[in-house]
Amino acid sequence: MRALKVGGAALLWLLMFSAAMAAESGVALKADDIRKEPFGDAKSVGKLKLNDKVQILDKDGGWLQIKSSTAKGWVRMLSIRKGDAKKGGNEAAGLLAMSSGRSGTGKVVATTGIRGLNEEELKAAKFNAEEVKLAESYAASKAQAEQFAKEGKLVARKFEYLPEVK
Amino acid sequence: MKTISKYLITGMLSAICGTTLAFDFGAMQNQIKGAQNQIKDAQNQIPKQIPQQAQPSAPQQLIQQLPVSPQAVNVIKEVSGPTQEEEVAIGRQIAGNLLGAVPLVKDDKLQQYVNNVGRWVASQSERPDLPWHFGVIESSDINAFAAPGGYIFVTTGLYRLMQNEADLAGVLGHEIGHVIQKHHLKILQQSKLVDAGGKALTTQVGNNDEVQKMIGSGAEIVARSLDKNAEFEADRIGVVLSARAGYDAYGLPGVLQQIGHSAKDAGSVALLFKTHPHPTDRLDKLSLAMGDRFDKVKGEDVAQRFYRAK
Repeated sequence: MRALKVGGAALLWLLMFSAAMAAESGVALKADDIRKEPFGDAKSVGKLKLNDKVQILDKDGGWLQIKSSTAKGWVRMLSIRKGDAKKGGNEAAGLLAMSSGRSGTGKVVATTGIRGLNEEELKAAKFNAEEVKLAESYAASKAQAEQFAKEGKLVARKFEYLPEVK
Repeated sequence: MKTISKYLITGMLSAICGTTLAFDFGAMQNQIKGAQNQIKDAQNQIPKQIPQQAQPSAPQQLIQQLPVSPQAVNVIKEVSGPTQEEEVAIGRQIAGNLLGAVPLVKDDKLQQYVNNVGRWVASQSERPDLPWHFGVIESSDINAFAAPGGYIFVTTGLYRLMQNEADLAGVLGHEIGHVIQKHHLKILQQSKLVDAGGKALTTQVGNNDEVQKMIGSGAEIVARSLDKNAEFEADRIGVVLSARAGYDAYGLPGVLQQIGHSAKDAGSVALLFKTHPHPTDRLDKLSLAMGDRFDKVKGEDVAQRFYRAK
């Protein structure tokens, strides 16, 4: 009986988890191929049409694994707007929570009515020697940054700058 | 006249990388005006990649080729810019002013973390030995700022939009792009040519009056719009530096996508939207430039150790 209860709880948790995953939705920003693998030369398994609603299942680099009403596969991240179809409005907070898979954390990032930084404020700014010294005190040396990268399993690699596309 | 215009166009485009020029060439002014009209046509014909080494050589080329007065030669020499020491002094003054308006978040671990990420990304650039400084500043505004010499600040508003270290690397990479391409420095040099006539700078530490005179009031320079091509260029540099540093290159596009979802009238993006092309335009350009180049360059997003701002 006790084992059953534990099993039941695990199942419930699983169900809730998959429900949360399924809740991450998106809308196609443009027509695109749905591909079998997250690569541009992978086999096309379907077509995405503008404004198609999709479920977002996974992310890999610049690719999202999605499920549309017609196909399941990978599309370029930039072809999808995460969140609901509604345009405009202050939806950044909701989107943020969803994109992290942590919907419902109640984290609010942007609310309307915030008076932003403005030019007058910046023009009137006076040099703050203490703050700039404090900022400088946090500097990381090249060697420290290398060690930090190593700890994060980051490996430097060669990559050419991108040409401008007109 | 035609030859002169051609040199002017080439020189100005590669040295200034913009279309609005304000400095005074005296007798050459009329010729410049003619040349400026032709810049738009010429832009379509310039090489697809902005040549990095061409910057110092372009003014030299002008000096050798143009029959101009010694005064004009001095002005042209100014285009090659201040020393690194002067550049850092200028950046420090701007940073101190910005911090005067928007202080650092008082969280040592956050600041150290951002400096580690930033320095690692900057190490992948062609100016790895600048005294790079990074910081998170206390503002709900969504924005980031770069000052010459390697002073870079991200607001808490923007920081909180980020999901992982690759996002942070992409944003810092964009700002590092402005620094290595000296985008702000070039703006300052233009106004300096008008205002101060190219006086030598002092590099005294602390509040630097001479530098302050050059940068205008307070930290207004950080609220000034750059040429939109400079922003697109910084975006391209941001993704490349991220990729070089081993990160998922799609951090910056992801953050741009999120900013693009913000309401147009939200106060938190007002300054950003005023001074930058719309994120959608930036994404379109970036997406074209990135193409499928990154498909096989998977990187890390390092989400586990991403430091969440309190």
